[in-house]
Amino acid sequence: MSWTDIGALNDIPLRGARIVKTVAGCIAVFRTAEEEVFATSNTCAHKGGPLAEGIVHGKSVTCPLHNWVYSLETGEAQGADEGQIATYPIRIEDGRLLLDVSTVAARSAA
Amino acid sequence: MQKLVVIGAGMASGRVLEHLFDAAPDAFEVTLFNAEPRGNYNRIMLSPVLSGEKTFEEIVTHDDAWYAANKVTTRFGEKVTGIDRERKVVIGENGEVPYDKLVIGTGSAPFIIPMPGHDLPGVVAYRDLEDTNAMIEASATPGGHAVVIGGGLLGLEAAAGLRLRGMEVTVLHIMGHLMERQLDEAAGYLLKKDLEKRGINVLLKAQTKCIEGDGKVERVLLEDGTVLKADIVCMAVGIRPAVALGQAAGLDMGRAIKVDAQMRTSDPDILAVGECVEFNGNLFGLVAPLYDQAKVLAKTLLGEDDVFKMRELSTKLKVTGCDLFSAGDFAEGEGREDIVFRDPKRGVYKRLVIEDDKLIGAVMYGDTADSNWFFGLIKDGTDIEEMRETLIFGPAFQGGGAAAADPLAAVAALPADAEICGCNGVCKGTIVSAIEGGAHTLDDVKALTKASASCGTCTGLVEQVLAVTLGDSFEAKAEKPVCKCTDLTHEDVRRLIKARELKSQPAVWQELGWKTVNGCHVCRPAINYYLLADWPLEYQDDLQSRFVNERNHANIQKDGTYSVMPRMWGGMTTPEELIAIAEAAKKYDAAVKVTGGQRIDLLGIKKEDLPAIWSDLNDAGMVSGHAYTKGLRTVKTCVGTDWCRFGTQDSTGLGIKLEKRLWGSWTPHKVKLAVSGCPRNCAEATCKDIGVICVDSGYQIGVAGAAGMDVKETERLIDVATEEEVLEWTVAFMQLYRENGKYLDRAYKWVAKVGLGWVQEHLSDPANRAALVERFDISQSVYQKDPWADHVANNMAQYTPLADLSQEAAE
Amino acid sequence: MQLTATPEARTFARIAEVWLPEGETLVHGGGAYGNASEFAEISGKTSFAKGEGLPGKAWAEARPVVLKEFDGSYFQRTEAALEAGLTCAVAVPVFAGKTLKAVLVILCGDDAEHHGAIEVWEDQGNKLHLSDGYYGTAQKFEEISQDVSFSYGQGLPGGVWAANTPILMRDLSRVGAFLRAEAAGEIGLKHGLGVPVPVPGDKTFVLTLLSSAGTPIARRFEIWDARPEVVGATKKALRIDGFCEIEGPLWPKENPPVDAETVGAWQGPVGQVVGSGLPQVHTGATGLPAGYTLMVALPVYQHGELAHVVAWYL
Repeated sequence: MSWTDIGALNDIPLRGARIVKTVAGCIAVFRTAEEEVFATSNTCAHKGGPLAEGIVHGKSVTCPLHNWVYSLETGEAQGADEGQIATYPIRIEDGRLLLDVSTVAARSAA
Repeated sequence: MQKLVVIGAGMASGRVLEHLFDAAPDAFEVTLFNAEPRGNYNRIMLSPVLSGEKTFEEIVTHDDAWYAANKVTTRFGEKVTGIDRERKVVIGENGEVPYDKLVIGTGSAPFIIPMPGHDLPGVVAYRDLEDTNAMIEASATPGGHAVVIGGGLLGLEAAAGLRLRGMEVTVLHIMGHLMERQLDEAAGYLLKKDLEKRGINVLLKAQTKCIEGDGKVERVLLEDGTVLKADIVCMAVGIRPAVALGQAAGLDMGRAIKVDAQMRTSDPDILAVGECVEFNGNLFGLVAPLYDQAKVLAKTLLGEDDVFKMRELSTKLKVTGCDLFSAGDFAEGEGREDIVFRDPKRGVYKRLVIEDDKLIGAVMYGDTADSNWFFGLIKDGTDIEEMRETLIFGPAFQGGGAAAADPLAAVAALPADAEICGCNGVCKGTIVSAIEGGAHTLDDVKALTKASASCGTCTGLVEQVLAVTLGDSFEAKAEKPVCKCTDLTHEDVRRLIKARELKSQPAVWQELGWKTVNGCHVCRPAINYYLLADWPLEYQDDLQSRFVNERNHANIQKDGTYSVMPRMWGGMTTPEELIAIAEAAKKYDAAVKVTGGQRIDLLGIKKEDLPAIWSDLNDAGMVSGHAYTKGLRTVKTCVGTDWCRFGTQDSTGLGIKLEKRLWGSWTPHKVKLAVSGCPRNCAEATCKDIGVICVDSGYQIGVAGAAGMDVKETERLIDVATEEEVLEWTVAFMQLYRENGKYLDRAYKWVAKVGLGWVQEHLSDPANRAALVERFDISQSVYQKDPWADHVANNMAQYTPLADLSQEAAE
Repeated sequence: MQLTATPEARTFARIAEVWLPEGETLVHGGGAYGNASEFAEISGKTSFAKGEGLPGKAWAEARPVVLKEFDGSYFQRTEAALEAGLTCAVAVPVFAGKTLKAVLVILCGDDAEHHGAIEVWEDQGNKLHLSDGYYGTAQKFEEISQDVSFSYGQGLPGGVWAANTPILMRDLSRVGAFLRAEAAGEIGLKHGLGVPVPVPGDKTFVLTLLSSAGTPIARRFEIWDARPEVVGATKKALRIDGFCEIEGPLWPKENPPVDAETVGAWQGPVGQVVGSGLPQVHTGATGLPAGYTLMVALPVYQHGELAHVVAWYL
């Protein structure tokens, strides 16, 4: 594990998202509740829509292009659609966001 | 006998002594120091003492007689100034005491925000009897004002107590909902509502700037300019372990005094207990684990084996009549599922969090009967897969028939004076009386009360009132609900938002019995629109409930880039504007397209460039064209009398006036206008949402046209003589549509539903028209602002990455 | 003349009785009459139609009623009452939703040394005003009370109204603890029990019993929570607050209150109220806490269901 500080929790609006640029592409960081965040790939498995621009509801996000809905916990597309996006370990510590960058590297290598 | 010195007569060390005297009454000769001039009392019950529901005498745990009976030497009101570990003595203000074993139980100190004025007399924390008495004294002033900073457990208990004592109380909380550590938004909303019912004023997202007063506290100032009168300020923003003694004595420290599972510090003869200790990185604030610690510490002192273990905690707020419960974990994690139950009538909200077929968290408000059962499931890690479907209904339902949430709950919860039919002002009570008087069908109710007899959008609600009143004998037609989060239709939701005066999203979710925690991508944009349209001053637009185009003020394209389109008032532009547009197009590598709405579109802009191109266009005097909104788009015009030999009126000028009046307003769907200078109709005004045709005698206003998937000619609303009347009727029509239309219904669809006659009837009353215009203008006072400039100034972060790790070397 | 077995104790209220609806009339459902045996006998034989006499009036008007003059009033047992030295009566209707469950009547007697008060507060839109009250000889306190009004959440009546739950206040004379503190101190008022009295049509009155040390309304007060949303589907009640001159505090010490005293339906005198949903006047030491021979218990309804029980003891 290699936890990297990527910013403050409050930099992300409630039920909003921000992106983190990495060598392996953009990661979307979602804030689903006051003290709850998820990190996934920013790219929709359908037509590559930017998920960080989608509407966040419960622990899901809806892609802004064609309304695919993903579970932020598992990265699985919901309902009739079939698809999977990568998810990344992230945690909150004293109001800071820590992303496990080792998994980013690993997944990009895989 | 061994000499035991205890520093701090709090609840934890008090429990240590009880265990000690129980198990081995003669093992230790005890000296007890306490900085407070009294012995151990039940500190967590100070809140009812503050409110007048208990006396201090009632909450004393150990009185003088108890200390005497156990031969405890008490040194109350005396501060300990140091610990000499070499000589094994505790140094008090009035002399030293030697020890064989020492217990540190110094507890915690309230955290005071060092804002200007925090040291004025009248600013108190909420920790001990002195603080409590100071607040009680302050409440003696008739009509006195209190400000409580902090909307956590302690702050809210202080607020409730001060209110019961008769003060005017305001709670300032920096977060978006109360008790955010223990509650989620929905439960926080219900708690706020309960406190407001008690006359307590609750301000959320409140940033306190300073406290002011001449010699004593007089007022509290907020960052947004609000000034609050204050005779007393209670700061209840948190506690910090009181560890100065331990630190000075050179004990191992973390954020507090480090102890092992036997409650020993780094010095084997010194033990510590309570809020001043740190165990495995954890600090403590609730009383239950402190009692566990006390038990272990007593055993360690007696040479017996025991181990302190962390356990799950639950919380209860001690405000009479507020029933809430929270336990377990809501933090992030993979594979979690929520189960939500709401009963608007009883003000009940329950949420369970499940992971791997186990219950890991629970929040309950208004109905806590099953809290012990849920708490048990959490603590024991019980497998709940078998009962998942009925879990939320509690132990009574397990094995029995499954209960279901009542789809009629929102309507059943309506009070008798809630207005169901807005057109004819018919309340629920009137409809219920009619039904009880024998009107058992929709037509009967319509005939008798006029409810749903005009525009008809409340038909669904009237049917639900029939169903609620008549029970199973009436079957309401199942209309299509907004989405899977609710059984209500858009029309029902709009009506109920008005009738119940629901002014926030959590209020809608709770009072209308939403089945999800915070809606979905279908209902949230609609609810957000309804709230901002109905309550422009009270409700704050929620960007996170908007589709990407409205959030980023630009149209997302299929490759993830955006299009940018500046406004061209009435389709007019200038050479300077065109030069600025051309330069921006080159600078940001945009494709350029002339649109059907008489403006110029710049396509292919990257998200991170948006603020820069906006700023460039702003500098040339242009603002957003809102080409991406459910709101006013364009006003298309022909050249009119200025240039055209057929023109009858100044159609361009009127178009510009209309656009300047209407821009920035949000509507159920997009709104396009046009003004043609003569019936030849070069501006194609007869297929717009609102179209004006100029004629010699004045202006023909048509509405409800369409030229999209459907093509439809406008219907004549009215003919008027002056430009002023055109503006008045147009604005009034817009507002009527804004207030009544279903989200994502274009004007023509809405008019088809309610009927043009209904619209004309509403607008033909001058008073009604004036009122609509007034409400529109109030909304414009909030929403008519250039979003480009606003976002460049206030919301830049949205357009930049949170972090850029692409430069960092991969491992 | 006194209710209690201990002859030296003087009390503010002297008689408590329960009236139960039977069709369209109210029939006698028991009571404690102390030495007023004649009044007791007459009462046992009496029944009231809706609107008739004091209990019937409380039913018909759907509100608590205070009667301070028996002579020439609608009170039907005037002669016996005067003979027993009674001068005032308060009738409290107990409604479950729209249904009358019972009427509790409390009768008091006047003399110079009796201090205390029984008040009825009425919700008048945004404030609670005194609707009626009996103050014995505490004239000054009565005058102040008539001028006072309470916003929601403020003071004992406002607190009870806003929380919709009974509240037991201590130390009424303590500065600021009670909006009429100073005057309360002068006549030795100590405990105040406030009880919501819901009536049909969403309206709620608040009944307050203010007890002095010298001539207490009771020497032990208890509030029990019986709401299904707190206790669950099985009928029972938790004692959430109380105070006793003999035993001291009667409330749970733990948070959450896992140690609250619990009573099941039909179990003991309070359990009778939980089970039946009716007021109880229990005489005799059997079943009561040591030192007491009388209990008056009043059920409090919410949304048509039993929510709380308040009990006071002598």
